[in-house]
Amino acid sequence: MRAELVLIAVLVVGGCGTTPKPADPPLLKVALEAESDGAKRYGRGDYAVAARRFDEAARIFSSIDDTDGMARNRLHRARTELAQGRGEEALRLLEPASATGDRALAALLIKAQAQLGLGRADAAQHSLSAAAALCTANCPQLASLKLLQSRAALAGDHAGDALAAAEAALKLLQGKDEAIETANAWRLIAAARLAGGDPGGALPAARNALAIDRQLALPEKIARDWLLIGHIQRTPGHGSSQPNGADALPGSDTANAYRRALDVAEAAGLGDVAALARQALSEIITAK
Amino acid sequence: MSLLTQHDSDAVAVRRGIRRLLVFATLVTVILVAAIFVRQGLLRQTASYSFVTDSAQDISKGQPVRIAGFRVGAVADVSLKDDGKVAVSMDIDADQMRFITHDARVELRKEGLVGSPTLEIVPGADKSRLAAAQARLSFSRADGLGALANQVRDEFVPILKDIKVITGALADPKTGLPGTLAEVRASTAALNTLLANSNRQVEGLGNAATQVLGKAEEDLAHLGKTLETANQRLPGIIDRTQQVLDHVEKITAEAEISLPPTLRDGSALTSDVREIVNGAKQSWPIRNFVDAPAAATLKMDSDLRGEAGGGSKNAR
Repeated sequence: MRAELVLIAVLVVGGCGTTPKPADPPLLKVALEAESDGAKRYGRGDYAVAARRFDEAARIFSSIDDTDGMARNRLHRARTELAQGRGEEALRLLEPASATGDRALAALLIKAQAQLGLGRADAAQHSLSAAAALCTANCPQLASLKLLQSRAALAGDHAGDALAAAEAALKLLQGKDEAIETANAWRLIAAARLAGGDPGGALPAARNALAIDRQLALPEKIARDWLLIGHIQRTPGHGSSQPNGADALPGSDTANAYRRALDVAEAAGLGDVAALARQALSEIITAK
Repeated sequence: MSLLTQHDSDAVAVRRGIRRLLVFATLVTVILVAAIFVRQGLLRQTASYSFVTDSAQDISKGQPVRIAGFRVGAVADVSLKDDGKVAVSMDIDADQMRFITHDARVELRKEGLVGSPTLEIVPGADKSRLAAAQARLSFSRADGLGALANQVRDEFVPILKDIKVITGALADPKTGLPGTLAEVRASTAALNTLLANSNRQVEGLGNAATQVLGKAEEDLAHLGKTLETANQRLPGIIDRTQQVLDHVEKITAEAEISLPPTLRDGSALTSDVREIVNGAKQSWPIRNFVDAPAAATLKMDSDLRGEAGGGSKNAR
């Protein structure tokens, strides 16, 4: 009896002694909840709902005159549009360029990405130059900036510059918890080497990208990695290094790689990548 | 002697234990009563406002009253006045009086389109002057699913009637499609006769022309058969179409009656669960264990739906 009383007293005193967390104002709390939920859905690849939640958060932040929260959620929303392949919409959301500091840099990087996706290489170069001016030594986004510079160089048929920028990015990413960007770097190195006439060097880089993307379980990246491996193996002189393990491609390596790309893309509902894989497969059959 | 002493000390221990238990039970009761008072809002200061409406439909005592979606009070009383109007009074938390302007109005809204009805106080444009306690506010109702369904039905029924008239006209044996098809068939027969005469007259012009005309004759005969088949089947198809339309109309009417209450119940249940969970999250000590949401950071990815790699023209 005494022990139970002591226990209840300790619980009550302990509970009373705990400092209550300061409660956010209701509307701010609703906005933060919407933003947090949007980020979770973005992480799960549920982009359509994530966009709605970010939109809602931006509207509430705007209603309480929280310009920082509003700008942050507009950036989230732009990135979500980009993830859905809607570059024009992403650019529209980035239109009021009023952000400063890190947010301005992030906006320029997303803008450059959208412009590259829309095939506007010159505009992307312009955005990347502006981003480079804001990204001083050791800025956290330097690796991402280098990767986008590499993509822009690749789009302009400057394979050497693309390779140099991607390798610099990879060096910056070493030891950091940036697996997505590391896989992007390997993929760009593979693409740049292939474009520079070094398919033998491109294959291991593409396999590194694939290994990371499979760990991260990113269907679109995995499908694109297989497509790239197919392109590399289709190029004469890739060396056919006969890799070991589960990823070994027996028989017609090129056709198998394209088939893997097609299977992954179809299972994930990626129509554009599936079409590319199907076309590549039909080209192989026609060539035979 | 020692036995009596032992007995006395045991009795004292039992009495002490009972006293402690009683003290503890009293303390728990007091805490519980205080918690109920706080939860029920009996210790809160409130201000009273009222409005008058034509009907008490969807308004009940205890119904929550909200401002901007937050519960700020409840309906205190609903009563029928001498002139047949309904007087509704509401108790609003004194803390929330600062939002109720002199030109504020009360709206009866549904959560979503078919949710449970709630009263929402919408502040007016003039924020400089607040409504006094006991003030009478204006009142309006928002349209629910029933009104919307009636509107859709009002739009849809004339269209169905038009379709019926059109199909009826088409099915008319004299002026409709069957009559027209009969005329076409007669014309086809006349054309066949004409072609037969022409065939005889141009027989001398050569075998090739004869074959072409023969083929045309066959085609026209085939067309005649096809039209005849269509003439036989069309009335049946039109009848079935009318039956389907009648069925659709019946289903729409039934759905109009049965669907809204079901949807409303589900919505109200969801709302209640959400309110309970939110209440639990805000209450001590659970709120100490629930992390407050914070600004989110998305992982950087420089190749979102990118063309670097497989899809790139450079990759080939």
